[in-house]
Amino acid sequence: MDVITSNPALLANAEKFRPYVGRRVRTVVKVNRFEGGNLHCQAPDGPHIVVRQVPRNEEFTQFVEVIGVVEGDTALRAEICTNFGDRFDLEQFSKLCDMANGSYRDIFMLRRRGQDFLASNK
Amino acid sequence: MSSDFGADGGSLFGGGGFIPTQSTGLNENAFSPGGATKKASYQSLIPVTVKQLSSAILEPSDEKFYIDGQESHNITLVGMVFGKKENFTDVSFMLDDFTGKIEVKKWIDGQDSEELVELRNIRNGIYVRIYGQLRSFQGKKNVVALSVRPIKQFDEVTFHFLEAIYVHAYNLKSQGVTVGSKSSASTRVMFSAHPALPVTPNPSANMRSNISSQYMAPASVPVGCNSMNECQNRVQALFDEPANLVMEQGLHVDEVARRTAGFTKQQVKEAIDHLANEGFIYATIDEDHYNKSTYNSF
Repeated sequence: MDVITSNPALLANAEKFRPYVGRRVRTVVKVNRFEGGNLHCQAPDGPHIVVRQVPRNEEFTQFVEVIGVVEGDTALRAEICTNFGDRFDLEQFSKLCDMANGSYRDIFMLRRRGQDFLASNK
Repeated sequence: MSSDFGADGGSLFGGGGFIPTQSTGLNENAFSPGGATKKASYQSLIPVTVKQLSSAILEPSDEKFYIDGQESHNITLVGMVFGKKENFTDVSFMLDDFTGKIEVKKWIDGQDSEELVELRNIRNGIYVRIYGQLRSFQGKKNVVALSVRPIKQFDEVTFHFLEAIYVHAYNLKSQGVTVGSKSSASTRVMFSAHPALPVTPNPSANMRSNISSQYMAPASVPVGCNSMNECQNRVQALFDEPANLVMEQGLHVDEVARRTAGFTKQQVKEAIDHLANEGFIYATIDEDHYNKSTYNSF
């Protein structure tokens, strides 16, 4: 494939973690503390979540983008972490997540014919 | 040939950078003083996701890409750099915005150029903003970048996706398609072209005629329908032009359709019928020729 769309990371709030368990997502979190290899942080829509397998030697800014696989309602397993600085509008990002999973998901993810690529929104 | 970024740049891009081309049939542009009758060719700059690029259709007749039914001139992307390669004449990398990955190439002038120094700052794993054009080479899509810039303030990432959503919704609305209707299977078929499907001849015309057959049936479409109004406005503007009033027999419908890019002939014919019923124009020598009504007290 010239344009590879096979492994997208879906923009997600914490509320999307349950329907997206096992899927690759991307989100931006506000870091509370880094403890024992886990990042304890706040998801864009507010809930406290834990990100596992975070690279240890990183110095984190206040906001970090995490791309990884959802493991549970409040748990992510990180693949890529990117520092997003100390100034970031998390509320806007949360609204973007809502829109990207709602009416405008067409431009973010491929629809398989006959079924949605993502789990149904509950 | 290319658009004037100098003289007209201020007015064209002053508002925000995304300008619909005339082919979309939009004649209202708050930032363009000339309005619908301006002859200058607009070159749009649209924010996109890589997923949209994967769905872009290459029209065989003019070898141009169409995204959301609009001819794609310049595009802008935001994503992460992977697999960067520095070659003698160019720098290339994969751009991953996590809706998909696409190859990006930036040609460089020479090994001593300043831009090569700047490009050396682009490392794998950083977010960049790309301005460029969608191209096809040996059947594979790629982006030729005109500008590659690292992102410093990450609100730009949020902004880019929000802008892409806005432009996408705007373009679809101008074509009379409702965004977000889950039951709209027709939308899905038209605008989420699966990469495995072969490119049909004249796909953008097909898209529009599909729209017209599904949405433009006169019985089912209310008069206030957005796209039909746009078409009527464009046709009426054409009849308003003094140059077109010179000939007594007026304009032929084919001529009107040809000069109203972005709408099918069927749509233009319906617009002409509507305008004739309202009294703005009248048939002259036969049903195919129309001229503007002189006494307009509407």
